[in-house]
Amino acid sequence: MTEKTNTITLSDRVKDIAKDFGLPRLIITGFLVLLLVVSPFVGADLPTQISNIINRFSWNGILVLAMVPMVHSGCGLNFGLPLGIISGLLGATLSIELGFSGAFSFLMAILLATPFALVFGCIYGWLLNKIKGGEMMIATYVGFSSVSLMCMMWLLLPYHSPNMVWGMAGKGLRTTISLEGYYTQALAKILQINIGNLSIPTGSILFFALLAFGMWAFLHTKTGTAMTAVGSNPEFARSSGVNVDKIRLISVVMSTWLAAIGILVYEQGFGFIQLYMAPFYMALPAVSAILIGGASVNKASVMNVIIGTILFQGIVTMTPTVMNNMIHLDMSEVIRIIVSNGMILYALTRKTEETK
Amino acid sequence: MNKINYGDLLRRFSVPIMFVIICAVCAPISGLSPSYLCNEIVTRMGRNAFLILSLLIPIMAGMGLNFSMTLGAMAGEIGLILVSDWQIVGIPGMILAMIVSVPISALLGLFCGKVLNMAKGREMITSYIISFFINGIYQLIVLYLMGPVIPIKHSNIKLPRGYGIRNTVSLLSMRQKLDNLIPLNIGGVKIPVATFIIIFLLCLVIIWFRKTKLGQDMRAVGQDMGVARDSGIDVERTRIISMVLSTVFAGIGMIIYLQNMGNIATYSSHSQIGMFCIAALLVGGASVEKASIGNVFLGIILFHTMFIVAPKAGTVITGDSMIGEYFRVFVSYAVITVALIMYETNKRKNKSKAGEQLALAQEEANE
Amino acid sequence: MNNSKKKTLIYRIAAFLVIMAIAAVMFIVGRGHTVYFDNKSSDLVAEVPYKIEVKVDGKKVASLKKNERGMVDVMGQKLTMELVVTEEKGGEAVHMKVSQPLPYNMDGIILNIPAMLNGASQDQYVSEFVPVLSETEVAEETVVTDDTAGLMSFGEESEASK
Repeated sequence: MTEKTNTITLSDRVKDIAKDFGLPRLIITGFLVLLLVVSPFVGADLPTQISNIINRFSWNGILVLAMVPMVHSGCGLNFGLPLGIISGLLGATLSIELGFSGAFSFLMAILLATPFALVFGCIYGWLLNKIKGGEMMIATYVGFSSVSLMCMMWLLLPYHSPNMVWGMAGKGLRTTISLEGYYTQALAKILQINIGNLSIPTGSILFFALLAFGMWAFLHTKTGTAMTAVGSNPEFARSSGVNVDKIRLISVVMSTWLAAIGILVYEQGFGFIQLYMAPFYMALPAVSAILIGGASVNKASVMNVIIGTILFQGIVTMTPTVMNNMIHLDMSEVIRIIVSNGMILYALTRKTEETK
Repeated sequence: MNKINYGDLLRRFSVPIMFVIICAVCAPISGLSPSYLCNEIVTRMGRNAFLILSLLIPIMAGMGLNFSMTLGAMAGEIGLILVSDWQIVGIPGMILAMIVSVPISALLGLFCGKVLNMAKGREMITSYIISFFINGIYQLIVLYLMGPVIPIKHSNIKLPRGYGIRNTVSLLSMRQKLDNLIPLNIGGVKIPVATFIIIFLLCLVIIWFRKTKLGQDMRAVGQDMGVARDSGIDVERTRIISMVLSTVFAGIGMIIYLQNMGNIATYSSHSQIGMFCIAALLVGGASVEKASIGNVFLGIILFHTMFIVAPKAGTVITGDSMIGEYFRVFVSYAVITVALIMYETNKRKNKSKAGEQLALAQEEANE
Repeated sequence: MNNSKKKTLIYRIAAFLVIMAIAAVMFIVGRGHTVYFDNKSSDLVAEVPYKIEVKVDGKKVASLKKNERGMVDVMGQKLTMELVVTEEKGGEAVHMKVSQPLPYNMDGIILNIPAMLNGASQDQYVSEFVPVLSETEVAEETVVTDDTAGLMSFGEESEASK
């Protein structure tokens, strides 16, 4: 008798977990596991693949982490990530312009990006407070407008460093700036572990862990819990004496600052600074990554960030190699578009408080 | 009392007024002749008007700006690709492409409508993401399935590897055939009479549609979904129908657009079309909840004048040709941002005003 | 209630049939062909005229000396052309109007005009043109499916101006 009841509860619990996890996520996880299993059989080197995934995780993790504060405070998914990315780009270019080099330029880039991130974040947050309810759409277009505005600025701002400007004209920044001699791989090289083909950028991962832990700790402080309260039940928060607008502003500034740091970490892994139209669509991969990790429009945790980034980057890295080796057909781009946007659609169509 | 009216008027028409100022400043600087501008505007009017008119229906039904008009554009492109392969040329080719695109548009519109019904209150961002999602599916079909699964006979349309469609598909066989059907030339300005007749017919259809029961239902749904549902209107079905109609019209409009361009940029023609059409509509004075036919035409004139004039003016002012091009992209996005912000702030103001009125009425009732 | 539902159904089916009919007509009326005119000798005609001029829709589309080929894009299943044939150099020009039905399934149609003028049967002077892809066309073409394609490809233009 007792054995029967035990089995039922176990399968029930498994079913519950599966339902919570959501069918699309199960499919995506299954797909990734399948890719990992198949890859050695089709000639893809598994350790290289795994180090690729870990590398890309370290580049993108912080950008995805930047989603968490705004989701907590009820501002929805931060489609206006490009604004924070621009602050980071300003920090990076200034750091090179002012002559810093080597790993130190990375530190300076962070320091220089911070004031920009704070200022932009404040303006952005003030704007979002005025339009409660329609944040996501307006965030998207604020992001687009600022990227196109910066496109003009990159041409007009008085940069002179020969590594960054066009050779002939002598003014106006180039589209891609190489970070050779600056901070490329600055974090990755710290404590890098190399076992045969498997290389783990320990420095970058530790940096991400530091910020992730910081976020987790913040969410348990007084301000952090206030933020969660504002997101889940603004009326209750207001009646408990919390200044809803101020908390939302703080969340936006945090998100923008994290995005600035995030793009700097991405650049150090990627090796290049990409200006002009590059940040245009950078919000979408981060949004779908956190959604794949289990977040929703008004609920996100640091665990979602970690799981989501691994799954998303896993699929993005593995699909081209496996497909290429298997059927000599590179459908990876199309698959990436369908999977990531499909995930966002899935999240947007879930019933929440507002859409009932 | 009068002061408030002026302020309100100014705020409602702030975007068109801004644009008039920008054009008035940039046009003389750019050094382009008025006859060239006239010619360009008339051409662009014929090219874009049908597409922008298709945006009016979702706004009427309260679904905001239809960022998924790209879906109709993709259906139109698929129609044109197939017709190109079947070697059907000229106006009959165009008509056949339109007929082929209608079922595809209808299917896509149905999908869009159903998804949007699941995301009420978030229609605009959802339709925005839908356009990306379907773009992925479109690429799947056009880049991989066309050839092996969907038979394409002619290798000059296919990529050298044997399947998938090339980057550009030439529409030389039907280029400007509709525009030149009834040629008219006034003072050096070529006017595509047949195209304008079709656009005029669509305007008549839209005006007639507003008066039909379905049109009235849509407006009711747009005003207040709850009230509409209480009066017995099937809200979900009406919303889906509005998306289907909009997508079908967008498909036909895209064919008219491409017929004027003369070739299809298979993978990029449709991607920016949504954004530019919405920007043009907003520049014409439309808002997220109210748009009229007048907005469409005013918007085309203002937006496209800016579009032509800004790069040239930018080159003259700064000596750098890129500045003007970035400027016009920035202005297009900024216009949409401003319109969205105004919509949201108005919505909240109206909500609080309604709340105040309710409170006032209750007070009076209590007295 | 049933009557009006039946009426709507009938209207819908009728509209559908009308559109199918229009589509079918478009298929036939709009079929495009590229017609090539040859002034070449063949088994049937040893001596070809000195010059053949071909006019379609009032416009001169080809002037063919011996062994030359001209072409025109046409729409529809029938080609009406005006030929001006000069048998000998300096001889008199003979005008004639010819109406040639075009086979539906061929994209490119080659008409051997001397043979046609000498009363040959349809299959003898009409043949299909099969294009041979040149080496340059077979070159690899990369498809740009980048999300930012179509925004403006500033990267490449700016690189060029460096």
